[in-house]
Amino acid sequence: MVRIENISKNLGEFFLKDTSLDVADGDYLMILGPTGAGKTILLETIAGIYPPDKGKVYLNGRDITRLPPRQRNIGMVYQDYMLFPHLNVEKNIRYGLRSKKISKEETAQKVDELANLLGVSHLLHRYPGTLSGGEQQRIAIARALIMGPEVLLLDEPLSALDSETRTKLREELRRIHSFTHTTMIHVTHSFDEAFLLGSQMAIMNNGEIVQVGEPSEVFRKPNCKFVAEFLGVTNVFRGESVINNGLAYINVNELKVASATTRDGQVYASIRPEDILISLGPIESSARNSFQGEIQDISDAGTIVRITVDVGVPLVAAITRRSLLDMGLKQGMEVFLTFKAVDVHVF
Amino acid sequence: MLSRLRESRFKIITMLFGLVLAAFIVALLIGVVTHTTPQALITSLLSGEIQFAIRLSLITSVISTLFCIIVSVPAAYALARYNFRGKVLLNTILDIPLALPPLVAGVGLLILFGTTSFGKGLAEAGIKFIFTPQGIVLAQFFVNMPFMFRILRSTFQGINPRYEYVAQTLGSTEAEAFWRVTLPMSKNGLMAGSIITWCRGIGEFGAALMVAGATRMQTETLPISLYLNMSSGELPMAIAAATILIVISLVSLFIFEKFSGFAHVF
Repeated sequence: MVRIENISKNLGEFFLKDTSLDVADGDYLMILGPTGAGKTILLETIAGIYPPDKGKVYLNGRDITRLPPRQRNIGMVYQDYMLFPHLNVEKNIRYGLRSKKISKEETAQKVDELANLLGVSHLLHRYPGTLSGGEQQRIAIARALIMGPEVLLLDEPLSALDSETRTKLREELRRIHSFTHTTMIHVTHSFDEAFLLGSQMAIMNNGEIVQVGEPSEVFRKPNCKFVAEFLGVTNVFRGESVINNGLAYINVNELKVASATTRDGQVYASIRPEDILISLGPIESSARNSFQGEIQDISDAGTIVRITVDVGVPLVAAITRRSLLDMGLKQGMEVFLTFKAVDVHVF
Repeated sequence: MLSRLRESRFKIITMLFGLVLAAFIVALLIGVVTHTTPQALITSLLSGEIQFAIRLSLITSVISTLFCIIVSVPAAYALARYNFRGKVLLNTILDIPLALPPLVAGVGLLILFGTTSFGKGLAEAGIKFIFTPQGIVLAQFFVNMPFMFRILRSTFQGINPRYEYVAQTLGSTEAEAFWRVTLPMSKNGLMAGSIITWCRGIGEFGAALMVAGATRMQTETLPISLYLNMSSGELPMAIAAATILIVISLVSLFIFEKFSGFAHVF
C-alpha cells in the first residue's frame, strides 16, 4: 500500500502542506479538487519526481522518500499523454523494458500483450503525432503498465478526450483495474468518473487532503463546508434500480424512488435540491415521487434556503427565503417532498 | 471605397520598401560574383592558396562547432531546466560574447592565452593558441558559442519536462532520460544551432585575426584570405574567397530555415 506521511512541498504556485494519505492495495483512489489544490504535485511526489521538503512516502512499508523514480515501480500517465514523439508506438510501449534486462522474445511478447490489452496492436508502427487523443492515451497506459507497476498514477487521463472516447477509455480503465488489481490513484475533475471508477475518493484543497472515503460516503457526508460546496451535489444515493413498465424504481434504504432511467442494477441517483417541491400537505400532481418526513435542518445561505428533510434518507430541498417565511417552516415540522421521475439523475 | 484605396496605397508603399531592400542585397551579391571573369574566378578557386583557405575554414569551423555543441548542451540544459541563485546573472554573462565586438573578444583571448600564466602553462603543455590554427578554433568557439547556447536553451525550454519525468518512471536515470528522450526531441534545434554556428565560424574574422594573426598559408581562412588579397590588390583571389563565402552563407541560410521552420513537426 501507499502511505504518505505529513508531506510538504513548495513549488511556488503549487504546494503540498503537511498532508497525509493511505491507499490500500488494489484500491482505485480518485482525487478531486479545485485547480491549484496540489493534485498533480501530490502524484509527482509519489512518483518521486521531486523530493518533498518534509515528510515520508512509503510503499508497502518501505520508505521510498529518497528513492529516484526509476527504483519505485510506480507508473505515471499524464493528461497530455507525453508519448515520445521521435519513437513509434512499439518503441514507446517498450521504452521501460530496456532497464529490465530481459530477452528480445520476452520484450516482444510483453509489448504484444499490452498492445492487445489496450487494443492498439494495429498502431504499433505509427508515430504518436499521427494518432488521436484516445489512441495516444491507450499507448501511454500500455507504456506504464508494461513495467508491472505496483501503483499507477493517472493525472486527469481522460480530460483531454471527447466525451465518447472518454466513456470508452473510462470503461477500459475499470476493466484494467479489475484485471490487474494495480493500485490506481487517479486525479480528475469529473464527479461521474469519481463515482464510476473510484473505490475511494479524496478531496484536496490548498495543498491538503481534506477528506477521504468511499465516494458515496464523501458525497453524503462531507466533513467540512469546503467539501460540501466543492462537490455541490447533495442528494446522492446508491441503490438498486429495477425497471418496471418503463419506469425505474430505485430502492434507497427501503425508499422507492421513481426515475426515468433505463439503467438497472446498482446505480447512483441524485436529485438537485431546486427540483424538489416542499408542501405542508400531500399534493396531487403528475410527479411520481412524493415522500413525507420531518424537517431536520434549515440552512440559510442568503436568498436561497436549503432544507433537509428526513424521509428515510435525508433529502435537501432548496427554496427561496420568501417561501420559507410564507410557509412558516420550522425544524421538526412534518412536510411532503415531491419531485418528478425525470429529475432523478441516475449514473 | 476611399479607405480601401488608401489601404492598398499603404500596402504598395510598404511593399516597395521591402522590394528596394531586396534589390539592394541581390545587386550587392551579383556585383561581387560577377566582378571578375568566370575564367579568372575558376583559376583562383583552384589555386593552392584558396584551396588551403577552404580546407582550413572547413576544418576549424567544424571543430569549433563541435566544441560549441559539447559545451552548450549541458549548459543550456541547466539554464533551461533548473532554478538556482544567480541564474539571471549567469544567463547574461553567457550572452556577453554576442554583444562584444569580435576584435575585443580577440584582444581578450590574446591576453588570456598569450600573456597570463594560465595561457603560458597551456602553451608549455603543447596547447598553443597564439598565431596557430588552434587559435582560429578558439576564436570561433568564443564568439559563436552564444548562438548555439541560446538556440539550445530555447529548444530545451520548449520541451515539457514531463517527458523526462515519464521516462524516469520507466526506469531511466536523469541522464538516460535526457539522452533517450530530450536530446532526440531537440534534433531540429541542434541542427539549426549547428548550422548557424558553423556558418558564422566560417565567416569569423575579427577575433581570429587577433588571436591567430593573418599569415598566408598558415592561418589563412577564407575571410583572412579575402582580407589579405584585398590588401595586396589581388582582386580575383579576393573575389574567389568572397564568392565561396556567399555560396556557403546562402546554402546555410536555406538549411537553417528548413530546420527552424519544422522545429516542432515530427
